[in-house]
Amino acid sequence: MYKLTEEGQEYLERGLPERRLLDILDAPLELEDASKRVENFSIALQWAKKEGWVEIREGRIHLVDKPKALPQEKALKKVSKGQAVDKDILKVLVSRKLIEKVREDILKRAKKLVGTEITQLPEELISTGLWKEVRFKSYNVKVPGKRIHPGKRQPYQLFVGRMKRKLVELGFQEVTGQLIETEFWNFDALYQPQNHPARDWTSTYQLKYPESGRLPDKKIVDHVKAAHENGWTTGSTGWKYRWDPKKAARLMPRAHGTCISARTLASNPEIPGKYFAIARCYRPDFLDATHLIEFNQAEGIVIDESLNLKNLLGILEIFAKEIAGAKKVKFLPDYYPFTEPSVQLSALHPDLGWMEFGGSGIFREELTKPLGIDVPVIAWGIGIDRLAMFKLGINDVRYLFSKDLDWLRDSKVL
Amino acid sequence: MPKIDFSLKDLQRLLRTDITYDELKERGILFVKGEIEGLQEEVISADIKDTNRPDLWSAEGIARELQSHYGVREGLPEFKMGRSGISLNVDRKVGRVRPKTVGAVVKGLSLDDESIKQMIQLQEKIHMTYGRNREVTAIGVYDLDRIAPPINYTTVKPDGIKFIPLDFEEELTPAEILEKHPKGREYGHLIDKFGEYPLMIDSAGNVLSIPPIINSVYTGKVSPQTKNVFIELTGQEVERLSIALNVLVAAFYERGGEVLSVDVNYPDGTIVTPDMTPREFSIDAEECRKILGLDLKKKEIINLLKRASYDAKSKNGKLLVKYPAYRNDIMHSRDVIEDIAIAYDVNRIDPQPPELSTIGTMDPKEEFCDTVREVIVGLGFQEVLTFSLVSKKNLFDKMNLKEKEICEIANPISTSWNSIRNWLLPSILDFLRANLHVEYPQKVFEVGDVVVIDGKEETGTRTEKKLACAVSGGRACYEDISSVLDAFLRNIGVEYRLKGKRHKSFISGRSAEVVTNGRAVGIVGEIHPLVLNNWGIEKPVAAFEIDIDGIK
Repeated sequence: MYKLTEEGQEYLERGLPERRLLDILDAPLELEDASKRVENFSIALQWAKKEGWVEIREGRIHLVDKPKALPQEKALKKVSKGQAVDKDILKVLVSRKLIEKVREDILKRAKKLVGTEITQLPEELISTGLWKEVRFKSYNVKVPGKRIHPGKRQPYQLFVGRMKRKLVELGFQEVTGQLIETEFWNFDALYQPQNHPARDWTSTYQLKYPESGRLPDKKIVDHVKAAHENGWTTGSTGWKYRWDPKKAARLMPRAHGTCISARTLASNPEIPGKYFAIARCYRPDFLDATHLIEFNQAEGIVIDESLNLKNLLGILEIFAKEIAGAKKVKFLPDYYPFTEPSVQLSALHPDLGWMEFGGSGIFREELTKPLGIDVPVIAWGIGIDRLAMFKLGINDVRYLFSKDLDWLRDSKVL
Repeated sequence: MPKIDFSLKDLQRLLRTDITYDELKERGILFVKGEIEGLQEEVISADIKDTNRPDLWSAEGIARELQSHYGVREGLPEFKMGRSGISLNVDRKVGRVRPKTVGAVVKGLSLDDESIKQMIQLQEKIHMTYGRNREVTAIGVYDLDRIAPPINYTTVKPDGIKFIPLDFEEELTPAEILEKHPKGREYGHLIDKFGEYPLMIDSAGNVLSIPPIINSVYTGKVSPQTKNVFIELTGQEVERLSIALNVLVAAFYERGGEVLSVDVNYPDGTIVTPDMTPREFSIDAEECRKILGLDLKKKEIINLLKRASYDAKSKNGKLLVKYPAYRNDIMHSRDVIEDIAIAYDVNRIDPQPPELSTIGTMDPKEEFCDTVREVIVGLGFQEVLTFSLVSKKNLFDKMNLKEKEICEIANPISTSWNSIRNWLLPSILDFLRANLHVEYPQKVFEVGDVVVIDGKEETGTRTEKKLACAVSGGRACYEDISSVLDAFLRNIGVEYRLKGKRHKSFISGRSAEVVTNGRAVGIVGEIHPLVLNNWGIEKPVAAFEIDIDGIK
């Protein structure tokens, strides 16, 4: 049992390509001319030559003989009707991929379904063409599809990814750091005095093991020490106390991303340069609707001789508009131990009113000079956990680290 | 970040201006780097952000600072002072225990409940923040009329004297105070290591206080009837104590008190405190213009400084500024320049984004992690985000592993978060455990940081990125997860082989090491039912964990 292939079906309806060639050969034709007028010209020419109906002389095709009916066309017609055909011709048609064998068991199974109403559409009905002989049961197509769960990004991670892209678009280079830092990089290099309350047991985590790490390059350490004790060459009085290298070598899970900025400054950054980091940070807090045991900060610096307070405000305004979608901004004078002047950004969110968005300032010279930087450095930090809550429309911060699989499966990827 | 409360009426009285709540909230409070958090029954709660400006931690200080911004006066606030003739004698013996003290007298006070509240609040804030919980600064304020000068600062044996401390009715020895009095228990650790404790006592033998713990009831109680006070501070450095003393007497001065100095007689010489002589600093007008980006003339700068309670004049091409003796924060010209910006009003400055041509880039490893996430998501997995702080038990006991060295927190707030994880799979199991009643199969993954000990590193540790991936429920088995692993590694172009490896978190004979370039970079297998029991997970789990650095 054989059936026509798609190509076979087409030729049955329109005639074989060689037929179409013979039909236009009332007079000899240039090869190129003929090729333009006959579809599948190379197939047509090959078979017409093989059968001895045409020949080529001096680049032209001459008609030799034009049979009334082409045997292959007759055979195609018979196959389509399910009639027997000469074996040799069958072989030729199979080799030309105009017909193909239908498996008996498939046919048998298909025939069984003839005249019935089917729900699923089985392969055998499609391949035998017997689908014409069945009725299709109607479905209730108004029922929504069954709920399935695609692989998907976590909503907060998506948010962070988009935030990064935005910062890259604004010309910032991403930098990363280590979760465990020495107090030196977390505090001392940022000109935070060693007895500052932010450094005590209740405000930051400390490590039981390993307890201490190593201090960096002696030159940097000496300069930082001098900046703390007497201001070094910065024109500052310093904090006027005895700086303790042992305390600086103590290890801690980083309490803010600013330590990454300090390390960037100390490692010969580009000037002008813009750098940012998204940093997981740690402070002793209980887990509740407004606090996380660890949180994320976006943190960055801009380095250039030309920078001033106007530029600082300019950057903050861009962030508020580009990242938070705020319409209006307000600047609040603020205090951070490592920047002077310091400014907090307050942005007017279309739905949520004024929200505090991030802190910033120009790094103190007591910080930049010991790290080898002699030009102004603008530093900014954005509490992206809070921003993400607003963007994701959640009012419990714990959902940023949600353990609820149903919630994650239902979350939107927008 | 000290948070303080004050009454609007009291502030208006001290400011000598009827400032409205809205004006204070929207504008006034910005001049003291503060933020109004609320108003309840006439009491304003404010967050004063500068931890180096104890002078702003009371209604008196805020009012004084605002006076010049609102045109009540300009330039340096005036202080008139006299001498009390009273001596504070410092015994050599305090040297080891709590070496320094300073003092002052204020006369002619007429205090009311509100001013007493402000005085107590200011003391508390100074104790806590500036005084590092009384370690470096502790304050005592006494009714001068009950004291017989001179006053002696000396030491006493733990059972060497008896007196009634504040809030008590019976006489206690210093040792008993450390043991029984709430303040003794709270601050006793500052002195209990010494054989003798600090003692303030007058010439008649009346105890003033055991600094930095508690005053006596007899001298140390200040009420609306108190007219004259004696103030002393004890701590480690005279300079630090002097600033706090200046802050306190300046506040009393705003209340109309007459400030008088005290002679503090150290064994090696006498100092007279408080010293309210304005301090000097010189700044460069050009530096100011450059940092602010404002084209300010010298005259304008001088006027702005006067609004910020400074005096300033040109001297040798620079600006010589004078600032009040209670200010603790002027270390660098920038500190003065910031005050100029605040007086100018930051919101009047035109924001101007810097025009710098820089090229933005992602960190290559972070970018690779995003690619990893994309492939795993494509394999049908839900990304999760978990905390890196975990309980040590979760990393070892629950995973059926022997403990090894990891990063441990010295001051955890809960044993649930006493360590930083050294691998990711426990976090994934913790996630699965929280979702026992959610539709299975569950396929989840995370790309996250872990910390491993490495003595060769500057920080004694190394932060590593890991990928952990798990499938749970149904008939989740080795093949389910090894096929995911295979698809993942093939798609990121990593050639690998699996090498049978015994790992106690996995079923024996059903775990393998992932080896690439001769290096083990991960583990894959079926989680051991004992581990599932430990977590309370009731469905099979097959999982792998891969070191991102090992496959990048």
